[in-house]
Amino acid sequence: MNMTTVVLLLSGVGIAAFYAGRSRALRLGGGIDAARHLHSLPGYYGYFVAIWATLPAAFVLLGWLLVRERLLIAWVVTGLPESIRELPPGQLDLLLNNVLNLAVLPDAVAADPVIAAATEHYRAAVEISQWSVAVAVGALAMLGTWLALRLVRPGFRARNRVEAVISRFLVAASSIAILTTIGIVLSVLFEALRFFEQVPLHEFLFGTSWSPQTAIRDDQVGSSGSFGIAPLLAGTLLITLISMLIALPIGLMSAVFTAEYSTSRIRGVVKPLLEVLAGIPTVVYGFFAVLSVAPWVRGLGEALGLDVASESALAAGLVMGVMIIPLISSLADDAIRAVPDSLREGATALGATRYETIVGIILPAAMPGIAGGVLLAVSRAIGETMIVVMAAGLAANLTANPLEAVTTVTVQIVTLLVGDQEFESAKTLAAFALGLMLFVITMLLNVLGLTFVRRYRERYE
Amino acid sequence: MSKIERRRRIEARLGGRHRRERWFRLLGITAVGLALSFLVLILANLVGEGASAFTQSKLDLPIRYEVTASPTGGAPDVRYPDVDYDALVLDALAGLLAVEPDRQMRRELRQLVSIDAGFVVRDSLGSAEQAPGARLTVTVPASSNVDMLVKGQLDRSLPAVQRPLSDRQIAWVDTLRDSGVLVRRFNTALFTNGDSREPELAGIRGAVVGSFYMLAVTLLLAFPIGVATAVYLEEFAPRNRWADVVEISINNLAAVPSIVFGLLGLAVFIDWLGFPRSAPLVGGFVLALLTLPVVIISSRAAIRGVPGSIREAALGVGASRMQVVMDHVLPLALPGVLTGTIIGMSRALGETAPLLMIGMVAFIVDVPTGLGDPATALPVQIYLWSDSPERAFAERTSAAILVLLGFLLLMNLLAVLIRRRVENK
Amino acid sequence: MKHSVITTQSSMPSPRRLLSLALLVFALSPLAANAQSGRDYVYIVGSSTVYPFATIVAERFGRGSAYRTPKVESTGSGGGFKLFCDGIGVDYPDISNSSRAIKSTELEACRSNGVVDIIELKIGYDGIVFASALSAPDVMLTTADIYHALAKELPGSEPGSLVANPNRRWADIRDGLPAHRIEVLGPPPTSGTRDEFVEIAMGEGCRQVPWIAALETSEPSRFRAICHTIREDGAFIETGENDNLIVQKLEANPRAFGIFGFSFLDQNTDKVKGAGIDGVKPGFEAIADGRYPVSRPLYFYVKKDHVATIPGLRAFLAELTSERTLGEDGYLVDRGLIPMPVAERRLEADNARTLTSLSLARE
Repeated sequence: MNMTTVVLLLSGVGIAAFYAGRSRALRLGGGIDAARHLHSLPGYYGYFVAIWATLPAAFVLLGWLLVRERLLIAWVVTGLPESIRELPPGQLDLLLNNVLNLAVLPDAVAADPVIAAATEHYRAAVEISQWSVAVAVGALAMLGTWLALRLVRPGFRARNRVEAVISRFLVAASSIAILTTIGIVLSVLFEALRFFEQVPLHEFLFGTSWSPQTAIRDDQVGSSGSFGIAPLLAGTLLITLISMLIALPIGLMSAVFTAEYSTSRIRGVVKPLLEVLAGIPTVVYGFFAVLSVAPWVRGLGEALGLDVASESALAAGLVMGVMIIPLISSLADDAIRAVPDSLREGATALGATRYETIVGIILPAAMPGIAGGVLLAVSRAIGETMIVVMAAGLAANLTANPLEAVTTVTVQIVTLLVGDQEFESAKTLAAFALGLMLFVITMLLNVLGLTFVRRYRERYE
Repeated sequence: MSKIERRRRIEARLGGRHRRERWFRLLGITAVGLALSFLVLILANLVGEGASAFTQSKLDLPIRYEVTASPTGGAPDVRYPDVDYDALVLDALAGLLAVEPDRQMRRELRQLVSIDAGFVVRDSLGSAEQAPGARLTVTVPASSNVDMLVKGQLDRSLPAVQRPLSDRQIAWVDTLRDSGVLVRRFNTALFTNGDSREPELAGIRGAVVGSFYMLAVTLLLAFPIGVATAVYLEEFAPRNRWADVVEISINNLAAVPSIVFGLLGLAVFIDWLGFPRSAPLVGGFVLALLTLPVVIISSRAAIRGVPGSIREAALGVGASRMQVVMDHVLPLALPGVLTGTIIGMSRALGETAPLLMIGMVAFIVDVPTGLGDPATALPVQIYLWSDSPERAFAERTSAAILVLLGFLLLMNLLAVLIRRRVENK
Repeated sequence: MKHSVITTQSSMPSPRRLLSLALLVFALSPLAANAQSGRDYVYIVGSSTVYPFATIVAERFGRGSAYRTPKVESTGSGGGFKLFCDGIGVDYPDISNSSRAIKSTELEACRSNGVVDIIELKIGYDGIVFASALSAPDVMLTTADIYHALAKELPGSEPGSLVANPNRRWADIRDGLPAHRIEVLGPPPTSGTRDEFVEIAMGEGCRQVPWIAALETSEPSRFRAICHTIREDGAFIETGENDNLIVQKLEANPRAFGIFGFSFLDQNTDKVKGAGIDGVKPGFEAIADGRYPVSRPLYFYVKKDHVATIPGLRAFLAELTSERTLGEDGYLVDRGLIPMPVAERRLEADNARTLTSLSLARE
C-alpha cells in the first residue's frame, strides 16, 4: 500500500462523501422540491461532508510524511544490538544509510548478519507503517464522513460552514507574503548580526578596503580580512550609473514615441517586442556581455589607445542598460499616457507643435511618474546579479573609471557563498550583511519610487 | 508692433519649430530602433553561435569484436568483464587510417574520438549479442576538438603548439572525412544526456528535468496561495492594519532582488530546516516565494477588472459573498489569473541567482528522478557552461539558451492565446 | 453563461470538474510520495586543480559501472578538508581530493571529529604555472622576481626592516621584465595551489634574503608571515575556485598573469602559455623529472569508515588507481596529469585495495 494509492483512495472517499452528503440533504429536504426546505444549496452539504472526510485525514497523512523517515529510523535503531546502538552518531548514520540503500533493492542481502537483520526489520517496518497509516487515514475519513453526515439536516447551515473553511484558507494564504518578508528580514538580520559581532559596524560601513578571503587554518597566511563595503558600493553605483545612462534616454524616448507619435498598429508591434527584451533571462544577458560586448568594448578601447580592463564596468553597465530599457519605457509610457488629453488639446489649441507640447507640457506633468519609474529601475540595477557575476570583475577597486574592473555587492555575495560555507566565519556571514544592505537599499528605493508613482497617479484621477 | 509684423515673426520661427519637431520625432524612432536592434543583435548572436551545436561530428567505426584480456584492474564491468573496448576503438581507427601506432600515436588517435567511445561500443555489442570475431559498424561521437575542426571553428593556420590538434591529427581527420567515416549528424546527446565535462557528451536533459521539478513545486505553491491572497485582498479584506501590512509586504517582495530570496532559502530551508542542498524541492520553494508577488499582483488586477455590476447582480439575487466570488468573479477573472501565473512561471524558469545560493551549481551528471535528488536547472546549466573554457561549450551554451528561450516563448504564446480567447468572447 | 438562476444545479460539480480534480491529485501524488533511500552515490569535494581529473573519473565510473555517478564539488583543497573533516556520516564527503598533502592541523581537526582512518592515495604530479595569454610576450622569471612582485612587504634597506611592497610595474623589480603593471590572478586561501605556490615559489624567492632565511628555523611563524603574505593592493586579484575563469581573463588581458596547475595549461595550450621559472619552461618532462621548480603531487583522501557502506566507493577507488586511469596510457595522462613511476602506481593501487590508512603511517 504505497502513498500514491492512499492519496488516490482518499480522493475517492472525498468524492463519495460529496455525493452522500448531497443526496442525504436532498432526501431529508423532501426530494425534488428540496431546495425550498434546505438552508443551503444541496451541493454545500456535499462539500461540507467531503471536507470533513478528507481534510483531517489529509493533515494526518501530511504529518506522517513529515515524520515518517525519523520514526522508521528510530524504530530500526531500537531493534539493533546494544553494541551497535552505542556507536558514535556518524558510524550509526553510515550503518543506517547502508540499511536504507539495501532496503530499496528488491533482493539485496547484506553480508553482515546484523545489517541484514536491520534491513529486514526496516522493510517490515515500512510495510507495517504503510498499512497502518492507510488504515488510520481510511478510518479517519470514514469517521469524518459519518460525523458530518449526522449533522446534515434541512436547517443545517452547510454553506456558512464551508465558507468559513474557505475564508480561513484565504487569510492563511495572505499571511504567507508577510511570513516571507519576516523570514527574509529575520534570516538575513540574524546572520548579519553575527557578522557584526566579529566585524564592527563602522568598519563595515566606512572601511575603504574589501578583502574577505581570510586564512582558513592557523598555520596559513591569508588576506588580512578587511570588510569595508565602500569599494563594493562604488562599483555597484558605477555600473548602475552606466546602465542608467543607456537606459534612461533610450527608454524615455521610446516611451515618448510609442505614447505620442506612433499609430496604434505600430504601438501594437513595438510594445510586445520591448516586452520580449524584458523577458530574456538575465543569465542570457550575462552570456551576451561576456561573449560579445566585453571583447568589443576592449577592442574599441584599444583602437582608441585606451587601457581597458578585461571586465570593465562599462561592458557590464552597457548590457545592464539594455536590460533596463523595457522597464523604463513601460513605466514612462504609463506615466505619459496617464496625462489627461485636456492638457494635450489645450496646448494644441494654443498652436504648440507636438514637440513643444511634449517637452513643455506632458513630460513635466508626467515627471513624478517617470522619476518613480527611474527609482524602480535603479533598484533593479543594484540588485541585478547574473550580468555582473558573469561580466564584472572580482577586484574590489575604489574607482570611478568605467574602463577599470570593479566588483559589486551581488557579485561578492555569490563569490562568498558558492562553494564551501561555514556559518561561523566572518567570510560567510559577510554575505548576509551584504544581503541585508541590499535589501534595505532596494526597499527604500522601491518605497520612494512607488510613492512617487502613486501620488502622481492620484493627481490626475 | 503691427499685426503683419507679428505674423511675419511667427512665420519666421515656424521653420525652426517644425525642424525641431522632426528632429524630436526622429529621436523617438531612433530610440525604439536602438532598443529593437539590441534585441535583434542578441538573438542573431545566439542563433549564429548556437546553430552549429545542434549537429555533432560522429565516426562510423567498423568494430571487430574480440575477447581480449583487459590489461587493467578497475571497476568491474557488469556485462563484459574481459573486454577492453577502448582498444577495440583504437584498433578500428588504426585500421581505417592504415597505421601501426606506437605509444605517442595511440595517444593522438585516442584524442580523435570521444572518451565515451568505448562505452558506446560496449552498449551496441551488448544489444547485438555478437559472437567473438564478428564485425559491426558502431557510430561513436568524435572528440570536441575534432568536432570544432570539422565545424571550422578551429584555426588550422595557427602554429601547431597553439592548437589542440597536431598536424598529423588534422591530416587523419581530413582522411576520415573524405572517406565518409566522419560525418556531421544531429546532436541527440544534447537532448538526451545529463551534464558532462566533455562537450561532445554534455546535454541539457538533467537541467530540463530539474527545472521541470522545480516549476512543478513552484506552480503548486504559488498558484493556489497567490490566487487566494488576491481574492482575500480584493474581495474580503477589511480596511485594517492587517490588510495594509499584507499589501506593503507584497509590493516590497516584488522589488526585492532575487538573490536575497536565495539568502532566505539558504538560511531558512537549508541551514535551519535541514533540507538537502541542490534539491529541486528547495529550489521550488524559493522560486514560489519569488513568483508569489507576480501572481498576486496580476490576479488582483484580473479580479479588479471584473465589472462591479456582476457582483451586484449576484448579491441582488441572494448569493453570499463567497458565492459571488467563487461562482462569478473567479471564473470571469480566471484568464487574467492564468496569464499572470504563466508570466510568473516564465520568470521563475529564467531565474538563476537564488539557485546559486542553495547549491544548485554542482556538477551533476545523472538526470534527477525525484524532488530530493541533486539537480541543476536550465539557466544554471547555461551559467556553468558559459564558464567552461572549451571552445565547444560556447556553442552549446548558445544552444541551451535557444532552448530556454524556446520554452519561454511557448509559455508566453500560451498566455497570449488565453488572453485572445477571452477577448473574443 | 451559467451565472443563471438558483437551481439545485448551481454548486454541483460537473463530471468534468471532478475528473480534472482527480487527474490533478493523481499527477501530484508521486511528488509527495517518493520513497526515500539512503545516499547511494559517492560524494567528492576538494581541489579545483584535481576537479577535472575527479570529474572525468567520476563520469567514466558512472558510465562503466552499475553505480551512480559520484557527485563532485570544487571547493579548494583547504575548503575540501574542512568539509571532509567535519565528521563521519552520509552528510559528509567520502573523498577530499587535494593538490597538496594534508596538513597536520587538518589531520588533528579530522581526528577531533571522529575521522580517524584516512586513506591517502597519490594519483600523480602536477606543476604550478605562471601563465599569460598567447599574445603576451615570452617572459622568464625567477622565484625571487615572483616574491618581489607579490609579497605584501619586502625587506628594507637594513636587515630586519620591512617596507610595503613598492613595485607597481614588473620593470620596477629588475631590468628586462616588461614595463606594464603587475596584475596577477590567483586562487584564494582555500586553494591547495595557493598553499603550494606561496610555500614553494614565494618561499624560495624569499629565502634568497639571508636574514629572512635565518628566520625559517628560529622563528618559523615570522618567516611564514613575511614570505607567504600576498599583497592586497590590487596587484594580486583573488578569483574563486575557478581556473576556467582565470583562463578567460588572461585571454582578454594579455598583460595579466594567472596562477594555476600545469594540467590546466596543458588543456588550454591554444589560449595560454606558461612563463619560464628559474630558466625552465613548464613542460611534461620538466615537471616529471623535477627540473621545473614548482611542482607537487596530487592526492585523494578517503574515509575508511565510508568504504563499506557507501555503494560504489570501493569500486570507485579501484577505478581511480587502475592502470587505465593513472598509467602512462591512462586517460588522466591524456588530460595533463603527470604519471607516477610504475612502482608507485602499484603501491597506490595496493593501498586502495587493502585500505591502508594514513594515520598509522604518519605517526
